[in-house]
Order: sequence, then C-alpha cells, then structure tokens
Amino acid sequence: MAARSEPAYPVSWKSGRVASWLVTVDHKRIGILYIGTSLMWFVAGGILAVLMRSQLATPGEHLLTKTSYNEVLTMHGTTMIFLVVVPILAGFGNFLIPLMIGARDMAFPRLNALSYWLFVLGGIVLWLSWLSKGGAAHAGWWSYPTLSENFPWASPGHGQDYWIVSLHLLSLSSLLSAINFIVTIHNMRAPGMSWMRMPLFIWAIYTYALLLLLALPAISAAVTLLLLDRTVGTHFFIPSQGGNLVLYQHMFWFFGHPEVYIMVLPVFGMISEILPVFSRKPIFGYKAVAFSTIGIAFFSMLVWAHHMFTTGLGTGLDSFFMISSMIIAVPTGIKIFNWLATTWRGNLIFDTPMLFAIGFIALFTMGGLSGIFLAAFPVDWQLADSYYVVAHFHYVLFGGSAFGFFGGLYYWWPKMFGRMLDERLGKWHFWLMFVGFNLTFLPQHMLGLLGMARRVYTYHHGGLWEVYNLISTIGSGVMTISILVFLVNVWQTQIARKGVRSGNDPWLADTLEWYTTSPPPPQNFDSVPYVTSARPLRDLRRRLAEQPQ
Amino acid sequence: MPCGLRRKLPSVVLAVLVALATAGVAAASNGGFTPVEPASPGASHTLTAYYVILAFTSVIFVIVEGLLVVFVIKYRRRGRAREVEGAQVHGHTRLELIWTVIPVLILAVIGVTVFLELPDIRSAPAAANPIRITIVGHQYYWQFNYPNGARSIGTLHAPVDRVVDLKVLSPDVIHSWWIPALGGKIQAIPGRSNHIWFEATKEGSFEGQCAQLCGVFHASMLATVVAQSDAAYQHFVNVTTRATLGQQEWSGVCATCHGNLGQGGYGPAIANNSLLTQPSALEGIVRNGFTGTQGAMPPVGKWWTQAQMAALATYVKRHIYKPAPVGGTSGG
Repeated sequence: MAARSEPAYPVSWKSGRVASWLVTVDHKRIGILYIGTSLMWFVAGGILAVLMRSQLATPGEHLLTKTSYNEVLTMHGTTMIFLVVVPILAGFGNFLIPLMIGARDMAFPRLNALSYWLFVLGGIVLWLSWLSKGGAAHAGWWSYPTLSENFPWASPGHGQDYWIVSLHLLSLSSLLSAINFIVTIHNMRAPGMSWMRMPLFIWAIYTYALLLLLALPAISAAVTLLLLDRTVGTHFFIPSQGGNLVLYQHMFWFFGHPEVYIMVLPVFGMISEILPVFSRKPIFGYKAVAFSTIGIAFFSMLVWAHHMFTTGLGTGLDSFFMISSMIIAVPTGIKIFNWLATTWRGNLIFDTPMLFAIGFIALFTMGGLSGIFLAAFPVDWQLADSYYVVAHFHYVLFGGSAFGFFGGLYYWWPKMFGRMLDERLGKWHFWLMFVGFNLTFLPQHMLGLLGMARRVYTYHHGGLWEVYNLISTIGSGVMTISILVFLVNVWQTQIARKGVRSGNDPWLADTLEWYTTSPPPPQNFDSVPYVTSARPLRDLRRRLAEQPQ
Repeated sequence: MPCGLRRKLPSVVLAVLVALATAGVAAASNGGFTPVEPASPGASHTLTAYYVILAFTSVIFVIVEGLLVVFVIKYRRRGRAREVEGAQVHGHTRLELIWTVIPVLILAVIGVTVFLELPDIRSAPAAANPIRITIVGHQYYWQFNYPNGARSIGTLHAPVDRVVDLKVLSPDVIHSWWIPALGGKIQAIPGRSNHIWFEATKEGSFEGQCAQLCGVFHASMLATVVAQSDAAYQHFVNVTTRATLGQQEWSGVCATCHGNLGQGGYGPAIANNSLLTQPSALEGIVRNGFTGTQGAMPPVGKWWTQAQMAALATYVKRHIYKPAPVGGTSGG
C-alpha cells in the first residue's frame, strides 16, 4: 500500500474552501453571501450613524467637521439603503425562493452570481468615494442638483461621480436579480403550488421584484443626466442654462417612494411567515394579506410627490398626492390588523424570531401613524426636512425593515447553517435593540417639532434640544451594544461551533424549506411533496401522525 | 377604613400620575409634543390640523399597541408544548371589511379637515394689503429685499398684524425657508419663484433655519424674523438698513467663512489682503466667486445691487482691512 494516497481523480481548484464560494452559482450560497456582505455594510453604515449621533450629543461639538459631516450623512443614507436593506432582502430572496417553492435553484444561476458580484463592485465603488479628490459625495442620498453639480462651490471632485457610478452598478444588480426572481416564481413552483398556496414571503418578494423593475429605471435616468451634466457639459439640471431642478426631484422620488416599499414589503412577507409559526396558527386572512401587498405596490407608484410638498407644486398636485398617500395607509392597516388577529387565540411562543416580529408590529405601527401627519401636506410643510421626518423613516426602515430582517435571520439561521443561534443572547439582542431604538428615535420626533432641521452638523440651543439630542445619542450607544451582542452570538454559534444542531424543522414550521435538511444539500430536494395548501409541512406532519405506526 | 383606602390607593396614585403627566405635557406644549406655539394665522390653522390628526392617530395607536400587549399576555405559551396548536382560524370576511372601512372613514375625516383648514394656511386673507418682500436664499445666508429697495441680511423685519407676502428665490442651490412659529417651509429653488406668507400676531423675534441641505455651512444658515410696531419697521427699512448694510453684509455673508475680523476660518484670512481696498476687484470676486488651489468661494453676491457692493466696500475698507506690517512676509 502506498504511504500517500493520491486522489482518484483531479480535484479542481474550484472546490477549494474559499474558491468554491467565489465561483458558486448555488442560490443558497449566493443568498448567504448577499446577507453576509450586507451585514458587513450594516456595521460600516452603523459606525457612520454613531459618529453623527456623537457629533450631535451636545451643542457645538467638534468631533466631525462640517465638511466631513455632510459626507458622513450622505454615505450613511446611501449605504444603508443601497448596500444593506435592499441587498439583504435580495439575499433572503435568493436563499428562500427556490427552497420555499420547492425548486432546485433559481431560473438563471449564473445571472444570480453576476447580480451578487455587481453588488459587491457597487459597494466598493461607493466607498472609494472617500478616497477621491474633494472627498466623498456630500449632497445627501437624494443628491439634489445643483448641490450635486460639478460647480466649485457645490460638488467638485469625483466623489459624486463615484456615487453615480455605484448607483448604476447597484441598479443593474437589482434589475438582474429582480428578473431572476420573477421568472423563477412564475415557472418553477412545486406541483400543486398554485398562486393561492404560495408562502406569503414569496408574494412579497415577487412584488419587491416587480417594483424594482418599475422604479429603478427612473433613478438610472436621473443620475445619468446628472453624470452628463457633471462630465460633458450638458445642462439638464442647471437652471441658468434652462435646466429644471424640479424635474430631478420628480425623477428621484418616482424611484424613491417605491424604494421605501421595496425595502419593507419583503419584511412584511417575513413577518407573515414568522407570526403564524410562533402562534401555532395559520395566517389570518391569507388573501387579504397577499392582495394588500399588491395594493401597496400599486399605490406606491402614485405617491412620490409627497416628498415634494415643500417644492411648491400647487394645490392640485399636493391634494392628489395627499389622497393617494392616505389610501396606501388602508392596505397597510389591513396587514397590521391581520397580523394582530393571527396572534389571537394562539399558543404564542416567544423565541427570538417572534420577539422581533412583535417588535416589528409595535414599531412599524408607530412609523405608519407618523406618516399620516406627513401625508397631510399643510402639516408636512411644518414637519418636512426636520428631525420629525428622520424619526418617521427610521421607525419604518429600522423599526420595520431592520427588526424584520433580524427576526428573519434568527428564524432561518438554522436552515442556512444547521445550527440554532443562542436564544439567551438573542433575547438580549432584541431587548437592547428595542429599548435603544426607541431612546434614539422617539425624541427625534420632538426635536423636529421644536424646529431642528435634518442634516445639520451642529446646533446652538440648550434646554430641550440638548436633552433630546443627548437621549438620542445614548440610545444609539445602546443599539451599538445590541449589535455587538448579535455578533458575539454569531461568533459563538458558527465559529466557536457552540450552536445547538437543528434538525430539519426546529420550529415546526409550515413551508417547504423546512422539508429538506439543514443546511440543504446542493440540489435542495430529492423529491417534493405535492402541495395541497399554503401550509404543506403542517399537512405532512398531520398525515404522518394519522398513519398507523 | 384602611382596607378601603388601600384598595383605592392604586387608583389614586394612578390618577395623580396621569394628572402629573398631563400637566407635564401641557407645560411642555412647546416641548416637542406639538409644533411650536404659532404666531401667524397659517401656523395656527396648521396646528389645528395637527391636533385633529393627533387625536385619531392616538386612538389607533392605543388600540393597536393595546391589543398587541393584551394578546401577548393572554395567549402566551404558559408552558404548553410547541405542538399544541392555537385556534385554526383562517380569516373572517366581516372583520376584514370592518378594518378596511373604518380606516377609510377616519382618513376621509382627516382629509376633509385638511381641506377645510387649507385655505387659511395656503393664502393670506383676500382683503389684506400685503407688504411684498423678496427672500433670496444664498450659500449661506438669507437676504431680504424690501419694497423701498432696502436690503437686510439674516434678519427680516416686519410689522405686526400685517400680511407679509414673501417671494422666495435662490441663485445657487436649493434652500428651504422655515420659521416654525410663522408657518411651514417653502423651497428656494434656482430658476423658480415660490411664494409663502405670514402675518405676525405678536411682537417678538422668531427663529428658524434653512431646512434643505445646501452645502458646508447649511447648519449656519439661520434666519430671524423680527415682528415689531409699524413705526419701528419704517425706521428700520428707511434708516437702520441704510446705515448698517455694509456691516450686515460683512457679518452675515463674509464672516461665515473668513471670521468676524477677517482672520480666517473655513476660508483664508483676508484682513490684510489689499483686495479689500479695491472696490472693483472686490465686486468681481463677490459677484462671480473664486476658485483657488485651496477651495472655492461661491458667488455670494451674484445678484447684489451697486448700492450693496458700495456698502460692503466702504465697510471692509474702514473696519476690516488691516495693512500688513511693514516688512511682514505673511498675508497678501
């Protein structure tokens, strides 16, 4: 016998431990890469947020200069929206769509990999902006011209150009994955899975993909015109040469408002998966929840100018956009009431995913209600561009989207990696984040009503301004600790391998992804049971229980 | 007796706490629970609309969060096995209709309220004989052009109980005019003319700031409206502005970057730059801006009148310019 055994066949470099991830076209690995990369950006964007909160802790701070403050606020917003929330949801979509609909992969696996790598490239290009001459982009995440134009007193240098190019890359990435999601969901559902038997997360991510297709071209066009202005001397947005600044606002928000729902609809879907499982009940009003998703998506295309009430559009347009914005509160309310009814007479199990789902309902309700003030345009004239708005959209995007995706992480973690995240640390994470979040953002409503404009690097009022700002900064510290607890949890579970191994279905869930092993094999399923309801796994458990032993 | 008292005690304590909290909120009514105390009819009507929305949203908030808490407590696991299922209720059409229709009705009431308040918020009383003042938002100051040609920087003077019609312009980037006590915001957009109005109902000075990110000194772009008697207003626009225009321009425009004494700050030190003594060269740089190796100066006085230029030239020559010491090597 030879002392050294040669492999029976040549092992390709592609099967290496790292290389196999770099060249993967497996939707599960791509999903995990998306989520991991987004979480990394979440930490980066979070550091920027803590920098801003530290700067604003007391009046007249000097931690950040006024120049760098504008860069930090621009990069924080852009990072959190384009590099965290949208891609982490794409990550969940990638991981879950084939598993939930009983398919072996996405329709276009290579396109899927391309989407991921374009996202990586877009993120790198955006953050290269820091190194460019003239500093990072500093015109806010809206980048309204003329402040974003290439004038020496506006946005000279290449920071803004990096911002534009990165948005192009990220848009392309999102468009490709949206096409992939739609084609997959249309064509690759398991036998028996009609539209009315699809998991609600699939409804939500399908709508997310549709909205991306409809909304992204508008911002691509807007920033292309801006790039032409900046580099080749056109004047689309230079009023002294006949350009029109209100046009940019329309194009930006035609994308920008659907974007809000792009960032929250898939999270609605996650909540609609988590709540029934931990209430031991079916979702209350499946059809109402599914169709309200479509309703929200439809109306989200008709509300963009409520971001422009202070532009001076005239009573006609203002009224239209107020009414359409109020209409969108109705399907949103339907969802909240159906979620509440789902917990009614349940056997509520407060594992960490459930805590995040309940926290989501509590906080998102708050964000929705403050939105009604902003939809009423005369009231918006008072509240727009103040810290009230900052509080409002953080209740929607952090209290909503981030609480939701953390709940989703705790829920699907065992399916992704085969180990349970630690429950004790998970509960610490939730409670610290819940308390820290409210400490940070509740006082910002008051600051806005007191007259504090957003995007100011400092202020010179003592009294309540200082009190509320200080509370808000303390809250951001508590949130930081909660994220550290989460990272420790991930470390202990995965890297120190202390996480308890989960079986196929640790939560006794309802949907097909729990039918296969945790983590699933490369082909996902050897066979898929015929789907006869929206809860195929519960059906299976009941059939097994009825069978004589 | 003590038994009855003890039974009542919690409710008494609760009542006292509620009363204290209410008093606290009332005392802090300018403390961030409602918009600041209005000093103009438009702002008062906005506050009315705010209260109506607050009433409805508070009720919805209490119902939703209350139900959530009640359900969480009432239907908690209590040690039951995970396998134990809750009631397998799939939905209820009548309930769905109820929680669709009631929000529609509430929103309709809110919408109607807004439209009822709107005319008094959007436009000044028709019979008013308004003073027409033009506001020009610049990087990084507000300039006010009065009907008699007078100019002021940073502080707008207006008579009380008189409608002031504001035309809002900008020559450079988008700014947003906002004095919370006097009403809402309106953007100052290059290439566009916007309107807003107020009628100060009491004397006093009302502070605000630019609400639209407009560049490095966005946070310094403060504004004050001084509402005063008609006589004081007339004195201001006819006498005071004329005498202090150069000083206002220096401290409201130049000093933001170059320091109060021209000693430098964000921009270079200019106190001993001989350019300050050459009116035409000074006008060129103020009107057109300047791009140097260290950075750029915006065209802060793009739309200034000759009188404004002259006032600045006179002021800086007399009060700011300090010739460099003989033999000195720095400055210039």
